[in-house]
Amino acid sequence: MLDKLRPAERAATHPGPAAARVGIGGPVGCGKTALIEALIPVLQRRGIDFAVVTNDLVTKEDAERLRRSGLIDPARVSAVEAGACPHTVIREDPTLNIATGDDLEARFPGLELILFESGGDNLASTFSLDLVDWWMFVIDVAGGDDIPRKKGPGLLRCDLLVVNKVDLAPYVGVELEPMLAEAVRVRGGRPVLATNARAGAGIEAVADAISAAVLFRI
Amino acid sequence: MLSTLRALWQADGAFPSGSFAFSYGIEGIVALRHGLDARELKRLVAAALKHRWASYDRVALLRGFRCNGDLAVIAAVDREVEASTLVESLRVGSRRNGASFLASHARIGNDLAAILRDVVRSGECLGHIAVMQGAVWSSVGLDENLAQLTSGYTVASGLITAAIRLGAVGALQGQEVLADCLPLIEQLTMNETPLELESFAPFLDVAAARHAQADLRLFAN
Repeated sequence: MLDKLRPAERAATHPGPAAARVGIGGPVGCGKTALIEALIPVLQRRGIDFAVVTNDLVTKEDAERLRRSGLIDPARVSAVEAGACPHTVIREDPTLNIATGDDLEARFPGLELILFESGGDNLASTFSLDLVDWWMFVIDVAGGDDIPRKKGPGLLRCDLLVVNKVDLAPYVGVELEPMLAEAVRVRGGRPVLATNARAGAGIEAVADAISAAVLFRI
Repeated sequence: MLSTLRALWQADGAFPSGSFAFSYGIEGIVALRHGLDARELKRLVAAALKHRWASYDRVALLRGFRCNGDLAVIAAVDREVEASTLVESLRVGSRRNGASFLASHARIGNDLAAILRDVVRSGECLGHIAVMQGAVWSSVGLDENLAQLTSGYTVASGLITAAIRLGAVGALQGQEVLADCLPLIEQLTMNETPLELESFAPFLDVAAARHAQADLRLFAN
């Protein structure tokens, strides 16, 4: 029962989020979900209490994939439909994600970290700092070695750029080192990491970056 | 004048409230009727306004507005909305939309919204969007008439925006439909407020129920 009926008899609370919130954006097929699947056991080994929110564009496939992976308690994975607007749901109107994050914090006291996976988008995709404290953008070598030259806001403004599927470079005509060097150059020296999420390569370094940036564990 | 500006602020599609992710049946209708055109959309939006919004959402909004922040009354209206919304995706969508609306207002410092967010989280209230809008809009200085107009406008523009994003009508066609709906919204706000929450929009309800089973969908309902 409502023990106190009028707002004057209740104190309004305006707490900030308790858990650190990290965004993971990037184009369709770049390996965002695979990256999260690879991160989960690493974060668990480090004793980090975390949950995941997925933003699927037309299905709940990414959320279901994580829930059924056996890697994480399915209750710690929430899905937000993006209403045909993968940009909007993480930038102009992130309130569905904010409310979902708040709900996870309420259900799992002690939560330290929430990962928000964006719906597949394009290079212009960026996260609102109303929603996340820090965010990474994922591209993959199979998208072409000219992606860094295209300098989309997502690629330029993220806190960490992840270049995934580096194992595919020889098969898609990409010279990896020049691609990584160009990515570092267009970002003015800000962090770039190379990963092969399916094989787990580079994932410890991504976890290190998250830990250092928002969990202050080095 | 300030209350009018505040109504504009709340009616603006740029105000973050999560509404963009809900089509309230339009995506289901577009899937059912591939040739949906602007004329048919106008009929649909008019039907939604007359038979769902005016006699249901508007009534819940006004009850929320008139409760003067009394959480027990808000909770009672909320429960009535929950019990009388037949289609699950509309029921759940209304609650999620309400939670996002409260998250926005709470984050920008509205005390009542923060309290409502907390009581929704604790399960004491359910947080249906129309009820939450009524309660919060009364606290930000809208009068009853402006609250109704704002609500009717956001419902109509939300349905039309969903149809535009689904490619059913063009952006300019959508604005023509919206402009045509404005006199209807004004007229409906002048109607007496029914005592009971009454909704009869079976086509929209059936479309929303079918949509919930769809494998591919852009909107949450």
